[in-house]
Parts: sequence; structure tokens; C-alpha cells
Amino acid sequence: MENRTFLQRFISKPEFGPLVLLVAELAVFWSINHDFLSVLNISNTLSFTVELGLIALGMTMLMTSGEFDLSVGSVFGFAPVIMWTFFNAGWASLEISFLIAMVLSAFIGWANGWFVTRVKISSFLVTLGMLLVVRGVGLYITDGFPQRTWSAGGHWLASALVGDFYIGSFRVYASLFWFVGIAIILGYVLTGTKVGNWIQAAGGNANSARARGVNVNRTKVALFMLTAVLSGFSGIISSIRTSSANPNSGTGYELEVIAMVVIGGTALTGGRGTIIGTVLGVFILRVMRNGIVLIGVPGLAYNIFIGAIILGMMTLHSVLERRHQAGT
Amino acid sequence: MATELIRMEHVNKFYGRVQALEDVNLVVNESEIVGLLGDNGAGKSTLIKVLSGAVPSSSGKISVRGKEVTIRSTTDAIAQGIETIYQDSALVTQLSIARNLFLGREPVKGPKFFNRLDQEKMNEVARELLARVGISKNIPPNTPIGSLSGGERQAVAIARAMHFDSDLIILDEPTNNLGVAETQGVLRFVRNARDSGHSCIFIAHNIHHVFQVVDRIVVMRRGRIVADDINPKTTSVEEVERVITGEELVVARG
Repeated sequence: MENRTFLQRFISKPEFGPLVLLVAELAVFWSINHDFLSVLNISNTLSFTVELGLIALGMTMLMTSGEFDLSVGSVFGFAPVIMWTFFNAGWASLEISFLIAMVLSAFIGWANGWFVTRVKISSFLVTLGMLLVVRGVGLYITDGFPQRTWSAGGHWLASALVGDFYIGSFRVYASLFWFVGIAIILGYVLTGTKVGNWIQAAGGNANSARARGVNVNRTKVALFMLTAVLSGFSGIISSIRTSSANPNSGTGYELEVIAMVVIGGTALTGGRGTIIGTVLGVFILRVMRNGIVLIGVPGLAYNIFIGAIILGMMTLHSVLERRHQAGT
Repeated sequence: MATELIRMEHVNKFYGRVQALEDVNLVVNESEIVGLLGDNGAGKSTLIKVLSGAVPSSSGKISVRGKEVTIRSTTDAIAQGIETIYQDSALVTQLSIARNLFLGREPVKGPKFFNRLDQEKMNEVARELLARVGISKNIPPNTPIGSLSGGERQAVAIARAMHFDSDLIILDEPTNNLGVAETQGVLRFVRNARDSGHSCIFIAHNIHHVFQVVDRIVVMRRGRIVADDINPKTTSVEEVERVITGEELVVARG
């Protein structure tokens, strides 16, 4: 097995399928509409992509440890609402409001983790409850009205999160660097560190991990917190970019994020996860959303394609898995 | 006189109203291999579970090297140097051989902050260990456990116990479902373990395997230890079988 060629090893990687799909997608959209790869379109797509992508990175870590989080979309809407409510009411400076929103997000993640690991309720039910609680609180605080965020213009924090600059005619948002940086860090943590080994073991066989002295519960709680913090962070980035913090934003994101993660090759049941795959998965879905509109398919048909991609990729993963087990 | 490693005194275990262990007393000395025999339901598994921390005992005392200890979890047991290898060995099937071997005790290199796994060292040790437990095939240490055979998995679990220098290695039916060469590997490992100063409790249905390696045979019947100093060198397999089934009682009464 060690003598296999580089190409063979490359093809047997779990990230290979998603990579082929992404390239195919790009080729098809580009051949139908050359504007698809225009500088403006790429830069627009990237700015959207990053926001869901940040959540997907956290979700990848969490799903590798065998849990998932349905409340990410609610936290995505809730964190900016909190931040801007505090700031607009004049209760705190922008920095302090930002910190409060992050701490509250972390607390939501901790609560999810506490219910899952201590009370031993499945993460599906815990985070479904949390989805409603957090969304409800956001709506209640704001009476359902969006909070204005345009007063942030020029503030250093706003520039650090979503400030933009041009490389030639290519517009780059600062949020892209956050995404790339966090992806690299989490990718390293998952594959190259001791903690990464614990995360994979916790998702693969929690009992044997526990028997070897791995603190499975603490690992999972930390990952719930990471996911919630990234969701809140991404919500705040989005609120500044779109100049409004809407308590309803992020509705339905949880399923799209989970779809991105599994398309990339992370197992829904835990034990196996890949950050590179998730980055590919994020692009596959976002490029699909963007490309469909550009080539003239009605935007309402988007879900048909997403559903088909999920089914197709899962079939592929399952077939490859079985062939692998059979020893070929 | 050999030094005492483990002593269990007056250990009882109830599952509800069912008594699975009744006043069990067992001593294992250092560098000693004890074969634990008994029919199905005799209490072997329960005894092992109590000693390995999988279930708590209802009453009784366990001492390691003369010091009384409480074993409430498998983690406690491992901390006391007691390692158990079950039939379906406790490995994470998605992880590689090397990652399983070092799970929970991964070597780290570089600055502590980066928490970086020393993968070269893990792979190197894994390769060495696999050869020692008798896997002659050249299996790369980054192969996931999921694609190994039952015997190979057993060998990985054994390799792990060897590497981390457990004082007492409990092997629960280690030769079940194993091929001939793999079984020989396991038996050879048990002999090596004694030579390097480890103790073993060896449980197997196959009495012949037990006779090949153990120093002393302990027999359980209905939750009690009915014989604890059978010498396999001076006793025949048939005599031991009679002790296991309890036939000698019938003979004595008749």
C-alpha cells in the first residue's frame, strides 16, 4: 500500500470527490456564461461564502466529535442583534458590545454542550430547543425590527471584520482573511494535534476514548462553544456588511451548513472529518447558488440542485467506503 | 516467595437480586500468568469487569502491591496498571493504528502551545510493536483499524498494553475468532509478557490454549472460586474439565 503512486493516493483521499465536483461545476457555469468567472462575480461570491463558511468550519469540528448543532442559524441572527442593541442604545462602546455578543454566543454553546454531555439528551433535540429559544429571544428583544448598523462606518473594529480593499479591480473583504486563517488553524488542530486525535476518537468510539483517559465531555463542550462563537462572529460580520442586524437573519442556515460539511466528506455520525473537504463543500453550494442565477435558471430551483448534490455525494461516499472496506 | 501484585478479598457483586460473585478471593503475583476457567455464567466476566473498572463491586477489597485501591472506572484501573483487552477490543475503528496506540497519551513535539503530534515517532513505535506481537504482514501504521481483521485488531490492543507497561494485562478470550498463526502470536505474547515482568489473567474457553501458557489455573463455578492452585504441569485437561463442570462433586456424593 505504501508503494502506491502519488496519483492513486490523491484519488483515494476523501476530498477528491468534492474537488472534482467543484471543478466540474465551475467548468459548466463558465462555459454557459463567461461572466461567471468575472472579477466582480468572484469577489461577490467570496464575500457571501465566507459567512456561511465560518459556521461550517466550526460545524466540521463538532460533527467529527459526533455531535451537531441546529442552533447556529439562530446564533447567527442573535449575536449581531445583541451587539447593536447595546451599541445603539448607548450602553456600551462598540468593542464592549462586540465582546458581550461573543460571550453570550459562547454561553449558548456551553449550554448546548452541557445538556448534551451532562443531561445526556441527543444533540438533535438540545439544539432544536436552543434554535427556538435563541431565535425567540432575538425577536423579543427587538420587537422583530432590524437594528441599524451603519453608524459603525469607519470604526476600526468594522474595518477589521469586513473592511475591503482593491487588488487591481478585485475587491477583497477582510472577512476572507478571517475565514482562511481560521480554516488553516482548525485544519491543523484536527489533523496535526493531540486535541485533534481526541476529537476524532470522541466521535468514533466515545467509550474507548474515555477508557484511554480522554475527557470526551470537555472536548465536546469546547467544540459546541467554538461552533456557537464562530456563528455569532459570522453573524456580526454579515450585519456590518449588509448594514443591518435583522433578528430573522440566518433562518435555515443550520441545514445548509450541515449540507456543506457532509458534502465535503465529514461523517454525520462522527469520527471522521476534513476541513479541506468542508472548504470545498462550502464553495460547491455557494457557487451553485450563484451560478444557477447567472445561467438563467430560476433562483427558486436552487434547492432542487442542492438536494441532488447531497444525494449524489452521499451515494459516492457510501460506494467508496464499501469498496474500501472490501479491500480494493 | 513471589511478590504479590493484586489481591482481591471477599468481593461480592449483585445484579439486582442475582449474585454474580460470591466472596471471591484472588491473588495474582508478579510475573505470573493465571488462567481463569469456568463454564458460561460462572462469573469470569463479572470478575474481570470488577477488576478492570467496567462495573463496581458490591462489596469487598482490592489491593495493588499491598495498597488498597478503589477502582471506579476503566481510567482508574489503567492508572493502577491494569489493562484489559476485550473480545471486541476497545479501539476506535476510524482512527489509524498509530493513533489508536497512543490515544490519550500522544507524544507531542515542538513548543507545547502548538500541541503538535509527533507522528513520525508514533508510526515508528507502531511499526516496531506490530512486529513484536507477530503481525508479519507489512501493515502501514496509518491504516485505519476498520480495515483490519479481528486478529490484527486484537494484536493492536495487545501491543498497546505492552507499550504502556501495564503491570497486569487481562486477556478476555483473546484467541476467539483468531487464525492459527494469530493465536500462536497471542500465546507467544503472553509468554513474552511474563518474561518481561508483566502479570496476566488469561481467560479462554479453549483449555488447551490455557494449558500452553499459564503458571496456575483458577476455576470458577456459580460465582465462586472453587479451585485456585491447579498446576497445569501436574494436572490433566480432563481433571480440570471435571472441576469446571462440578462432576467431581457428584462423584464424591455418589
